Amino acid sequence: MSVEATARSARPPLWRDLRVLRVAGQVVFVAVAVVFFMTLTSNLTDSLRRQGLDISLDFLRTRAGFGISEGISYSANDSFLRAFQVGVVNTLRVAGVGIVLATVLGVVMGVARLSPNWLVRKIAQVYVETIRNTPVLVQIIFWFFGVIFALPPIQEARTLGSVGILSNRIIALAWPRLEEGAGLWAIFVVAGVVAAAVAWSRLTRLGDRTGRDHHRVRWGLGVFTIVTLSGFLISGSPVRFDTPEVVRFQVEGGLQVSAGYAALLTGLVVYTGAFITEIVRGSILAVPKGQREAAEALGLNPFQQLRFVVLPQAMRIALPPITSQYLNLTKNSSLAIAIGFPDLMGVSRTIINQSGKATEMLLIVMATYLSMSLFISLVMNTINRRVALRGEGR
Amino acid sequence: MSGRPLLPEEVPLVLEDARPVELAPPRPPATLGEWIRGNLFSSPFNTVLTVVAGVVIALGGYGVLRWIFVSADWQVVKANLRVFMIGRFPLEETWRIWASAYLAVFLAGLSVGVTGIGVRRTAAGAARWLILGGLVVYALIFLLDGLRVWVSIAAGAALLGIGIAVGRAGGRSLRIPLAIGWIASFLLVILLLRGFGGVPPRLWGGFVLNLVVAVVGISLSFPAGVLLALGRRSSLPVIRFFSIGVIEIVRGVPLVTLLIFGQFVLPLLLPSGVRLAPILRALVMITIFAAAYVAEIVRGGLQGIHHGQYEAARALGLPATRMMLLIILPQALRNTIPAMIGQFISLFKDTSLIAVLGLNDLLDVSRNAPRLEFSGDVKEALLAAALLFWIVAYSMSRWSQRLERRLGVGER
Repeated sequence: MSVEATARSARPPLWRDLRVLRVAGQVVFVAVAVVFFMTLTSNLTDSLRRQGLDISLDFLRTRAGFGISEGISYSANDSFLRAFQVGVVNTLRVAGVGIVLATVLGVVMGVARLSPNWLVRKIAQVYVETIRNTPVLVQIIFWFFGVIFALPPIQEARTLGSVGILSNRIIALAWPRLEEGAGLWAIFVVAGVVAAAVAWSRLTRLGDRTGRDHHRVRWGLGVFTIVTLSGFLISGSPVRFDTPEVVRFQVEGGLQVSAGYAALLTGLVVYTGAFITEIVRGSILAVPKGQREAAEALGLNPFQQLRFVVLPQAMRIALPPITSQYLNLTKNSSLAIAIGFPDLMGVSRTIINQSGKATEMLLIVMATYLSMSLFISLVMNTINRRVALRGEGR
Repeated sequence: MSGRPLLPEEVPLVLEDARPVELAPPRPPATLGEWIRGNLFSSPFNTVLTVVAGVVIALGGYGVLRWIFVSADWQVVKANLRVFMIGRFPLEETWRIWASAYLAVFLAGLSVGVTGIGVRRTAAGAARWLILGGLVVYALIFLLDGLRVWVSIAAGAALLGIGIAVGRAGGRSLRIPLAIGWIASFLLVILLLRGFGGVPPRLWGGFVLNLVVAVVGISLSFPAGVLLALGRRSSLPVIRFFSIGVIEIVRGVPLVTLLIFGQFVLPLLLPSGVRLAPILRALVMITIFAAAYVAEIVRGGLQGIHHGQYEAARALGLPATRMMLLIILPQALRNTIPAMIGQFISLFKDTSLIAVLGLNDLLDVSRNAPRLEFSGDVKEALLAAALLFWIVAYSMSRWSQRLERRLGVGER
């Protein structure tokens, strides 16, 4: 009772009471922020009124009136919204393919960086040191103007045998194309996957019970191969390699990509790959040496040491920084604007020039990039939770 | 050993039937043959790799060298060298840039002398520097005309040497004057370029513009980033959420989008009558962008501080502000130095993005120079630009690696 009384009497005056100060500080902060943002918005409405504009999203439904060189179906008569969607799809096309290719390149180079072979190690090192220390925009512009523009025009295009065609406007690669009977084959493929999965889980359980080698990889792959191959033959070989050809100033067939897409993708993959290389190398090195030695002492062969001891732990270390590289690649795809590839940012800039709706458009663009970033983070965090130690990586 | 009998605890412990531990004899340095066998032909697979890599290197190296010294036409770089470096900066005002460069070079020399980082003492390191320096001089001999430029460069080199010598002589006592000098030089350079009837920012260009934007961007974003980081770790929810919002939104959006925001929307947000030059608008956005990344680095540093440090500071009766300024931030920031240099390098590379806005930075100049009279020599021009960026970024990253080792980050 007396203690409480002293506590109450010892209470500091209002202007020195921490609890009061905390609330007061936040109130002041909010007030300043509100005044600041109100000034900004009033400035904005003033400026817009002077230009005879207002804030609204109605313009999205009006006719775009400009062409876009590539992407999903679109014509100049479509709306601004449709044009924007074309840009979004183009960005996703670059980012999605880029993430996969950059990972492959990064892992290969990262392993090469640790190779016992001196030459291979040096090649990987030179790759990393040159690429990482040069601006990605310079690289993309170099690929576009320096490399792809230097290729011959379509009518004199260089052909790489039947594999592909290189020209300064379009690069085409031979690509498998499905033909009649593909539907039947697809059923076999699904059946193969199911059969392999059944064999896999059966063998795993058998192995767990008896402790004998289960060979589930061998059996699973075997079952899958037999089923899909026989299906392939039964349905009459429905896949044909489509080789591109030059037909009167046009490339026909194969997998075609535009010069802009090729340059952007190459630039992003090569650049991001260099960063992933270093992450892969760093995280393999970060696994304590004792882990590998212990695995060796247990009699695991080098492949098993990697597969069961080193890589699972390296994965855990590598995933968060690799996630941020994926985010960087996606954001860097906006550099398409410098080479005229109609990505999200590029199309939006054209829309701004056509409609004058800079504020609205840029807010939409930011929201779109933010949701892409959020989506990638979500996916990667889910994977991360799978590989993280229990109790870690909440 | 004397003849004195050993005390019980001095008797070497030897297990029954075990020989005393024998240390392996020191390995003789590997001969060339051993090294080749160990590194290139240790297994059949390794041999195959060596052959494949060798062929790749031989063919690629031959192609690249042949292109550099035979096919490529470097005239486009030679003719445009001044534009590459300073853009449309008026010719009669270039002394401003030289003076700024001298100031920076002298301070850099002092820093190297004081910290002792960046001076190589091994033979291999010296050889590497000699080769690199030789190549640079070779390139300069090809590129530069006229005695005046050479004298100016020689003066710069001399200033660097003097700086190193003074720094070494002064030692650690110069550390605080040096820090003040760097901060003052920042203002001085702006004054030199802009003041006394100087050159308006719209005429700044070339590589100098990249450097100015990078330096101004990192200097302004640093305090903002520290504030944002502190805000993010604040116990006041309003301030915390505000900081998290700013940091995450800025980090989730590409710099290009922010730059274009700066060009189109920023002027609308300013009160009527206030005009910002395009370069300044770009600078504002770059600063905001970099601040968010700096904030995350500082947050990492703050998280690395043991809570005992906070408790000790409070036990000493320090109020919150002084606890942060005197105890926490100095330790936290010291741990972030390598990451901060990394961020600076990345910001420096990102300055090339202002070319998207049509500002005459190095990338923009090298992209457009060949169009005028050297059609087709884009490759040469772009590679020269890339090389300039690379030299600065690479030397900074090497310097930061050595600094990291020196600071012993992660070892304390």
